[in-house]
Amino acid sequence: MAGVLEIQNLQKNFDAVKVINDFSMDVIELTLCCLVGPNGAGKTTTMDLITGRQKPTSGSVTFRGHVITGENEQMIARRGLGRKFQIPAVFRELTVRQNLEVAYSHEVNALKNIFSFSSRQCDARIDEVAEQVGLQERLAVIAGTLSHGETQWLEIGMVLMQDPALLLLDEPVAGMTEQEIEKTADILNTMKKTKTLIVVEHDMGFVREIADIVTVMHMGSLLAQGTIQEIETNQQVRDVYLGTEDH
Amino acid sequence: MTINPYHDKRLQWVAYAIFFALLALVPILLDDAFLLNQLSTFGVYGILALSLSLCWGFGGILNLGQGIAFGLGAYGMAMTMQMQSQDIDTNPIPPFMLNNALESLPMIWEPFWNTGTGIFLAVAIPTLYCLIFGALMFQARVSGPFFAIMTLAMLSAFYTVFIDLQPYTNGVNGISPPMPLEVGSLVVDPYSTTSYWIVYAVLLLSTVVAKLLTQSKFGLIVRAQNNDPERVRFLGYNVAVYETLIYAISGCMAALAGMCFTFLTQYVSPSQFDVGFSISIVIWAAIGGRGSLLWAIMGAFIVQGAQSYLGDEFLNTWILILGFFFILVVRFLPGGLAGLVELILGKLPNMSKQQKSPGEKPVDKASLKEA
Ligand SMILES: Nc1ncnc2c1ncn2[C@@H]1O[C@H](COP(=O)(O)OP(=O)(O)O)[C@@H](O)[C@H]1O
Ligand SMILES: [Mg+2]
Repeated sequence: MAGVLEIQNLQKNFDAVKVINDFSMDVIELTLCCLVGPNGAGKTTTMDLITGRQKPTSGSVTFRGHVITGENEQMIARRGLGRKFQIPAVFRELTVRQNLEVAYSHEVNALKNIFSFSSRQCDARIDEVAEQVGLQERLAVIAGTLSHGETQWLEIGMVLMQDPALLLLDEPVAGMTEQEIEKTADILNTMKKTKTLIVVEHDMGFVREIADIVTVMHMGSLLAQGTIQEIETNQQVRDVYLGTEDH
Repeated sequence: MTINPYHDKRLQWVAYAIFFALLALVPILLDDAFLLNQLSTFGVYGILALSLSLCWGFGGILNLGQGIAFGLGAYGMAMTMQMQSQDIDTNPIPPFMLNNALESLPMIWEPFWNTGTGIFLAVAIPTLYCLIFGALMFQARVSGPFFAIMTLAMLSAFYTVFIDLQPYTNGVNGISPPMPLEVGSLVVDPYSTTSYWIVYAVLLLSTVVAKLLTQSKFGLIVRAQNNDPERVRFLGYNVAVYETLIYAISGCMAALAGMCFTFLTQYVSPSQFDVGFSISIVIWAAIGGRGSLLWAIMGAFIVQGAQSYLGDEFLNTWILILGFFFILVVRFLPGGLAGLVELILGKLPNMSKQQKSPGEKPVDKASLKEA
């Protein structure tokens, strides 16, 4: 099976601090990989390095055979990488529908978009995605007034509108209620039939429900990788979690 | 949720139609040439306020140097008009150049022999300037107050350069073409209905273009980047290109306004690049409501109208009064008069229906940007 995303010997220093230290990982097509690890392990920074928000000190990221390290955010996004942020980032002053419309970025050319007023494909896609994330009743609402859970779903919906090959979701269930987490797990389990996903998550219960493969990070390095059973019985992982995890 | 008629897209177009119908009545009902000329100048200010509303209200790009595009357009038109009074064989050099001891027409003046080329350059050069300056700034992700300060610095630079290039620009004295503009057989007399209709057409065209822009996908992305530029980048859009374009389109409109201003006054001077003037444009848009194209135009009309009729009485304190209103608006009415109207219209249908929950704000910033 082909690796969609290959991370090789990634290194990121902030001044003297090595935040990511010789981290390598392969993500296989149409799998859902959970990236877990205690707070400050470097999960968000890894996403920043993959999506071009930060430049690595050394090492490389290869996406579908292209080395993407050094490219800027919009170039990487156009290659088919979508991202949901840890702190939900939606356009708070726009409606839910408008948020999804912006995220439908099949045409990024500014000059062409000047002459684009409405698109049937976009409307159809909005209906589909809104149903998938359960926001079909909320399309006319200003995004800034959504509940926390709805905001998380809207951002997942935005990533779906983008229709990327690989989705990076940073803590998609943070702050959600039990039912909301349940629903999100359903959404992700549907998504992984057609997409490759990397999901950052602490909540092992949630990870158990969705993950094909679990990658454990600790202090910027790879600690272990394997199926959920392998990870849960791994002594090293237990030590790290029991040692530093605060919940 | 109750629907505020302020946000009804169809009603908005109706409001625009009524506004322009009223403006079209002016030259029909009015036979005072002096007043007509003054109202035409207000139209020019309206175009400026509209252009700033597009860039600042929708794009979130505060441009304190809108006078640059305006001034360049005005100078381009003045050069075109000046050359119409020169003769290539007998009298090729404008008088002020002779006074400045120039012996031949400077190269940059040559293209203005041709009226068509001159008019084209008057709009093309400022637009190109905005494209280049915008691209340089936005590629480097200069934004917010930093961008505003850069525009202010450039404005001061233009002001100084146009004074210093005395032999080419006649310095502080400026250029006063002796004859009205002539395009083909059409004489654009500043005190005629012709010039009023030209300004009217430019204002109407700019408004329609601006309104369509805000309703296009392009406009939606511009609004989104105003909310969160980083998020827009991660969706694959090159934010700098969108910023540069909206800034340049706005600059192009300001250049057209500058051109109109010159044929209305038959005069141009470095005061077009005056910091105070560019700040006034910001004040018009802010008082009218920068989030609404129509109200930004009204802001220019109201403030300049008040200045013309009340300014004489409060000659020395006018600027203080204006400053006071500006602070009042910034502090209590961020949406300007447009925000006030939105608030009132929002309350209307609620009278008969149930009370809103007390925590709910009647106006949110987002909805302001619809209009
Ligand atoms: N811009 C930065 N400058 C300095 N240190 C940073 C920066 N961003 C993150 N860090 C540090 O890098 C480490 C990893 O952070 P992060 O990737 O956010 O962890 P996680 O998402 O796994 O909780 C933390 O110790 C954090 O303090
Ligand atoms: Mg994190």
